[in-house]
Amino acid sequence: MESAVTFEKSRFGKRMRSMLKVDFKRMCRSKLFYILIACALVIPILMTVMMTMMDGSVSVDPQTGAETVVHGPENTWQSIGTLPAEEGEAPGGTDVMAMCNINMMFMGAAVFICLFISEDFRSGYAKNLFTVRARRGDYVVSKTAAGFVCGALMLAAYLIGALLGGAISGLSFDLCGLSAGNIVMCMIAKVFLMLVFIAIDVLVSVAAKQKAWLCLCGSLAAGMLLFMTVSVITPLASTMMNVLLCLAGGALFALGLGAVSNTILKKTSLV
Amino acid sequence: MNAVEIRNLSKNFGAKQAVCGLNMTVPTGAIYGFIGENGSGKSTTEKMICGLLPINGGSIKLYGKDYTDADVRASIGVLIEAPGCFPGLSVWDNMLLQAANLSVPDAEKEVVRVLKTVRMEGAAGNKFKNCSLGMKQRVGIAMALLGNPTLLVLDEPLNGLDADGMRIMREILTDIVKDGKRSIVISSHLLGELQKVATHYGIIRHGKMICEMTADELDASCRTYVALLAGEMSRTKMLLERKYSRVEEDEAGYLRVYDPITPEEVVTYLYKNGVTITEIKTDKIGLEEYYIDLMKGGK
Repeated sequence: MESAVTFEKSRFGKRMRSMLKVDFKRMCRSKLFYILIACALVIPILMTVMMTMMDGSVSVDPQTGAETVVHGPENTWQSIGTLPAEEGEAPGGTDVMAMCNINMMFMGAAVFICLFISEDFRSGYAKNLFTVRARRGDYVVSKTAAGFVCGALMLAAYLIGALLGGAISGLSFDLCGLSAGNIVMCMIAKVFLMLVFIAIDVLVSVAAKQKAWLCLCGSLAAGMLLFMTVSVITPLASTMMNVLLCLAGGALFALGLGAVSNTILKKTSLV
Repeated sequence: MNAVEIRNLSKNFGAKQAVCGLNMTVPTGAIYGFIGENGSGKSTTEKMICGLLPINGGSIKLYGKDYTDADVRASIGVLIEAPGCFPGLSVWDNMLLQAANLSVPDAEKEVVRVLKTVRMEGAAGNKFKNCSLGMKQRVGIAMALLGNPTLLVLDEPLNGLDADGMRIMREILTDIVKDGKRSIVISSHLLGELQKVATHYGIIRHGKMICEMTADELDASCRTYVALLAGEMSRTKMLLERKYSRVEEDEAGYLRVYDPITPEEVVTYLYKNGVTITEIKTDKIGLEEYYIDLMKGGK
């Protein structure tokens, strides 16, 4: 009855190729992915148009009688970050654009990766996957890569939306002393910084597994804590230094938190 | 070389010990029927074999290698609890995803092959969520068969299958181990069906393996009995109980005498007492009865 059984050597490259292929295929077939990209594209257009229309309007608090002036955007690049000319100025009213700008996309990517990973566990797909894949690291790398690409595409979509919104609202495209290179560096820095957020999201998601609500709450909470640092690390006046800083931070977080995620997957139940 | 060799395996869930000191040996080429009550630790053991649950103690070897070995694990097919498909995707897409995961060469051809094997080729375009329970089970089996796995771990694969599905399943299982290189660990509560295919058995209780045997050993262990139908059943039963130590009436209405006797002895005894026998036969208890006896503590 018995005879020799041989097993094919599973090489890292081959394993990762197939894993990435599956994740990217799933990502491209996911409605959520397209909804998030569409949101990333539409939100800046709506925001810019609405805020331009509301510029200078005054709202009065019925209880205190205090007046609040709404400041609309004057420049298209305000959807991406704060222009140097504005820095140090106290707005004296509601500056929505300073809060709701491209940095919101770091939260959007969290939504994607949390639902993406929790669906793996809820459907039982993870069970099939981890049975045939002993190396949990493959999963972490692949999910981080998928989340990173999704986040990067959301940033790109937001940039396009912001430019379209600016054009529709008739806002200035003046760089206010900055160069196009600064804007490019700023965007690249944001893309690299996305890795930090994705690494946190992947960690929270593999810890919470099928509990999507817990993944989302954890990722969004972590994201909110880091949210304000994004505009500081990746200002519109970014240089190569900002890019390198974000790249190093992204790589460190991806490796460090990736290792923690890997350990969680190894030490905990996957069903 | 054994396909699965488990020594002193233990698993705790908090204070509850789900598996304690379990030993299990699945020879290469075997269909191993893994039997036990609900909550006895069957699924937990299977999940540990598949690396889905971390173990607390002991060792699991698959084909002589540690169960964490990536090369061995890449050739396991699994169906535990549910098939593990995305509900919104079609059967075809789900199969293709799993084929890609396994790096199956010529994936589409392979998916067609396994879907044909489980007679699901006509439903490949259906969304998984719209499949019936039996269809979902077949998809799960098809998914486990992708890439010709060396070891199949199937937890209750017969659940939800119709008579035809069970027959197909039996054919598939016997076909897989035909070459003597592949092995199957299968747990099921449908012991009658399991007995038709299993070559080895393992019976687990309270997380411990209480007995392991081959199908031949089971056959030898199963007691024979004399079953009969007579004119006056209640009187016949009374007479038999007076002479023999264990007499029971089965679901079909036969009186069974489990004592080591021949039908001739029974016929003579009842004839002397004026009872007319309409039918008499000797038979052996099946796996189900053997298992029930074992669980009761008597063999």
